Amino acid sequence: MIKKRKIKEAEIPTASMADIAFLLLLFFLVATVIDVDTGIGLTLPEYVPPEEIKEVEVPKDRMAAVLINENGDVLVDGQPTSIFQIKNNLKPRIVSKIDLPSNKKLIVSVKTDRKTNYNPYIQALDQIKLAYFEVRDEYSLQNYGKKFNDLLPEQQDVVKDKIPIIISLAEPEAVKR
Amino acid sequence: MKFEKRRATTKQEIPTASMPDIVFMLLLFFMVTTTLREVEVLVDYKLPEAEAIEKIENKRLISYIWVGSNKRIQINDSIVSLDEIQPIMYAKRQELPNVIVSLRIDRGTDMGLVTDIQQELRKAYCLRINYSANIKI
Repeated sequence: MIKKRKIKEAEIPTASMADIAFLLLLFFLVATVIDVDTGIGLTLPEYVPPEEIKEVEVPKDRMAAVLINENGDVLVDGQPTSIFQIKNNLKPRIVSKIDLPSNKKLIVSVKTDRKTNYNPYIQALDQIKLAYFEVRDEYSLQNYGKKFNDLLPEQQDVVKDKIPIIISLAEPEAVKR
Repeated sequence: MKFEKRRATTKQEIPTASMPDIVFMLLLFFMVTTTLREVEVLVDYKLPEAEAIEKIENKRLISYIWVGSNKRIQINDSIVSLDEIQPIMYAKRQELPNVIVSLRIDRGTDMGLVTDIQQELRKAYCLRINYSANIKI
């Protein structure tokens, strides 16, 4: 006589699967760092050995010299101003040079002392960048009816070409070490 | 008269069979987006605040330099001196030609030190930099 054997269906219990997945999910949620890196971007000039440095004359009306001393006082072209005035000071000058050829655009030169604090320097740089961004936005609104960030890449290039951001970082005088 | 409670004959359960799938999908998303913190920051710093802030689109290109409030400079996992910056950064640049150097500098640092670091970066041809700053509200 053959015994009839009922074959049990082989199954892996999946009830706890969700719990396990949740646990893993929790781990990754906790471990994730979602701090987007934000900051002020800049491109440094290439290094030139001191003996090869060539002095290039730049016409005065092309330059906007921003000087920050160790107390955080700001001079723009020799005129004392507050840090938060830099933007308003530069904007009309950037606007006036939109239609000029690229070798006549405004150059903003930032110079600090060795003893200057980092914070006012960033504030000043921020103001300069803001001035450029606002001019770009206004120009884009006038010509394309959109803000700079919403433009097509080609249009952005045109605007960038019209309003290039030229910031020159002057080296602090070595004497004051 | 007999009152009978009317009951819906349909099942009143939320189907949970697909729950693991959904959770796994979420899990996968987080696993892919996570960039685990590789380095331990040894210096303490407080970033300056700014408005005209840009995001760095590509996190893999970034290489950090920290400068703490006690003027110590950290690259990777160790505190380095000023002279060591150039060879380290040059090696990094050879690995990753378009490296972006994110400078996380304490807001109280002297500009002298910042410029010295920048000079070293220039010598190492790491020309794309980013002054890390928080958004001013």
